[in-house]
Amino acid sequence: MTSTVSSAPAVRRGTAARHPYLAALTTTRARIGLVLVGAVVLAGLLAPLLSSHAPTAQSGRALVPPGTGGHLLGTDDLGRDLLSRLLYGIRTDLEVIALAVPIGALLGCAFALLAAVHPVLDTVVQRAFDLVLAFPGLILALAVTAILGPGRLPVIVVITLAEIPVFGRQLRAGILVQRERDYAVAARVGGTRRARLLIRHILPNCADPLVVQLAVSLTVAVFLEGAMSFLGVGVRPPEPTLGNSLSQALPYLSQAPYFAAGPLLIVTLLVLGLSLLSEALNRETRR
Amino acid sequence: MGRYLLKRIPSALVVLVIASVVVFGILRLVPGDAATALAGPDASEESVAAIRRQLGLDQALAVQYVHWIGDLLRGDLGPSYAVGGEVADLIGEGFGATVELTLGALLLTIAIGLALGVLGATSRRRSVRGVVQALTTGALAVPPFVTGVLLVLVLAVGFAVLPSGGRVGLFEAPDLELQYLLLPALCLALPSAAVVGRYLKDSLQQAFSEDYIRTATAAGVSRRRLLWRHALPNALPPVVTLIGMQTGQLLGGAVLVEAIFAWPGLGQLAETGLTARDYPVVQDLLLLLVTVFVLVQLLTDVVHAWLDPRIRWE
Repeated sequence: MTSTVSSAPAVRRGTAARHPYLAALTTTRARIGLVLVGAVVLAGLLAPLLSSHAPTAQSGRALVPPGTGGHLLGTDDLGRDLLSRLLYGIRTDLEVIALAVPIGALLGCAFALLAAVHPVLDTVVQRAFDLVLAFPGLILALAVTAILGPGRLPVIVVITLAEIPVFGRQLRAGILVQRERDYAVAARVGGTRRARLLIRHILPNCADPLVVQLAVSLTVAVFLEGAMSFLGVGVRPPEPTLGNSLSQALPYLSQAPYFAAGPLLIVTLLVLGLSLLSEALNRETRR
Repeated sequence: MGRYLLKRIPSALVVLVIASVVVFGILRLVPGDAATALAGPDASEESVAAIRRQLGLDQALAVQYVHWIGDLLRGDLGPSYAVGGEVADLIGEGFGATVELTLGALLLTIAIGLALGVLGATSRRRSVRGVVQALTTGALAVPPFVTGVLLVLVLAVGFAVLPSGGRVGLFEAPDLELQYLLLPALCLALPSAAVVGRYLKDSLQQAFSEDYIRTATAAGVSRRRLLWRHALPNALPPVVTLIGMQTGQLLGGAVLVEAIFAWPGLGQLAETGLTARDYPVVQDLLLLLVTVFVLVQLLTDVVHAWLDPRIRWE
């Protein structure tokens, strides 16, 4: 009888020792983050259903305050519906970010794995990372748009380029540590091939900081998109993004503050949600 | 230390040389060269060719590159194509404004970072620590263009106490200039201040758990003296390195903040140069920014190595 009683906490401990990512998602911090990010993403995905105007349609009534003439958030300086522009802006941001960040992460990891193969390759890859990092984010953006001109493609290229060394360095540091661990040495002595050791044994053990970095990088991507719009080298109007909606509102801040309110709120919610998520993941994986 | 410098300086030089080739290459990759842009849309073949010859664009790329670097090293940046005036003057003017903004932001970073760190680590009130935590998380996550617009909305539009953008010049009207500087510098400083504050908080908490603090407490040293004379001096060195690293970030971030607050610095110049396809301006400017950034990184590494001998032997 006593054995069943004493085994009960053991079972509970069993459920508590879930995967750290799942454990992270049950914290209050992560739940708030998930709700915030989820709400913004959902609003972007459902843009065609939630908005009654086309994002680029001009109604002829410029800078109408919220709630008038069927414009829930009012209109911008060209008479376009602010709600539609906000929702479709989220959409553009999501498309750009969902493409650029994973590509940057994958390329960064690929370079780090390549660097792990041979010391000469390591030096070459390291110097290449140094070179990209020698251009602070926005200077990189200016350099890239000098070649490509403004638009959607340079935004994707800039975000990708900026993320490659970040993920690459992160993974390289992880590989260097894991490579000297007992299990890796044992596998090497046991005759495991280098590629297999690297990909099947070492890589999974380096994953945690990369997952945290992914959440951080999504915030950086939101920042880069917006910053490029402010510098006039981002996604070209009339296509709306969160960044260019906000930068277009800049000259009208005193005249029509509601113009800026939507993108201001959404960008804040999105980045706060993402950073809550990354913080929760970070705490849980570091235990 | 000498050994470390011997290793670190050449690698920074290599990065700079490659960066200069990349910057030079970038502008040669742009569709339509400077001569076509300069000559205008209706220019004849001959006049474009003449301009090209005059600018030396008909020479081999390697020759052009060597000429460019040679001129740079002699301090001769030549005339701008489209913006007007000498490139050196344009860059000098913008550089002054950007340095002023960066230094202003650096001062605010240190002040706000110290305040956040000390309050977060030592306040006995939970509510104060909660507010510090929330401020830090917010300042770290929210991009400067959001804080910038918010600052303008609250302090320039709502309360109308500060101007929303522009610059008058530090030497023309110092008191007015401070008013113009405050918002952009604050906007630029907030993310860095949050980084510094968070790090200082951890560093201080670490210091407070050390034995010497316990001994000092037992000996009856007051809390204030404990903080300022014992914990803080021990927690500060890594924070100094961090502030150095943040200076580079501030310089990069200044480009964006200038665009928000119409601050006539290097970022604005880059924007104008890019739109006007003024290659000498853009080329020299990009190289200058990268050089300064690499130098700041080098300086930070060297200071760090000086403070922490373990790094030198890595």
